[in-house]
Amino acid sequence: MNLFAMLEVSGSALGAERQRAEVVVSNMANAETARTPEGGPYRRRLVVFRTQRMPQFSMLLAGLQPGSAQGVHVDQVLADRSPAVRRYQPGHPDADPQGYVAYPAVNPVEEMTDLLGAVRSYELNAAAVAASKAMIQQSLDILR
Amino acid sequence: MSLIDTPMLHLLGRFLDVSVFRHSLIASNMANIDTPGYRTQDLNFRSEMQRATGDFEYASFSPAVRKVEGLIERPDGNNVSLERESLLLAETQLRFQQGVQLLRAEFRRLSNAINEGK
Repeated sequence: MNLFAMLEVSGSALGAERQRAEVVVSNMANAETARTPEGGPYRRRLVVFRTQRMPQFSMLLAGLQPGSAQGVHVDQVLADRSPAVRRYQPGHPDADPQGYVAYPAVNPVEEMTDLLGAVRSYELNAAAVAASKAMIQQSLDILR
Repeated sequence: MSLIDTPMLHLLGRFLDVSVFRHSLIASNMANIDTPGYRTQDLNFRSEMQRATGDFEYASFSPAVRKVEGLIERPDGNNVSLERESLLLAETQLRFQQGVQLLRAEFRRLSNAINEGK
């Protein structure tokens, strides 16, 4: 069993949570973006997490059977399906014939909550890394 | 069993192994705190410790992982509790430290005997 394999598990979570925070930040940055290369307003995006089998070699070293200690990765980044918010701005170059401009359906409160969740989960896993590091250090101290 | 391989060292080695395994499960639970449908995993420390110190081929030892029952499940089917994992992480870390300190004490004792108590 290997303590270093645990760093990989916690590390995968750090990466996934950071990616989640990036997507949330991008949603907030584009809350007012009415024009995108795909056409239409920006679509809010969501991440989907999935468990991940850790690399076989470290699993072997760690003596873990597959399916016990699992990391995590971002499986998909999905677009929100909720309809765009229409605002009446007849003078706007992107307005439709009725004078409405389509804006992304981004709720800042929702995004902030999600961001806080991502930050907390990141902290939790950083604490797990610190714990693993302390344990590795202690086992090295046996040699002294 | 040779003179250096004392029963105490043997036992402590197993203790550290089971602790590390449990720590890996906690790390895995923490990593998957936002994964939909993930269920909290753990092992029974007492019974695994009894199994690990039992009379069998240790190289093939792999602790029995079980799903933890009775935790509050969120709407996405995930039942990882932040408090439970944080507490267990601290506990496992201290247990590991305890094992390491006892191990060092045992080695000191042996070294003391080799040096004729000088």
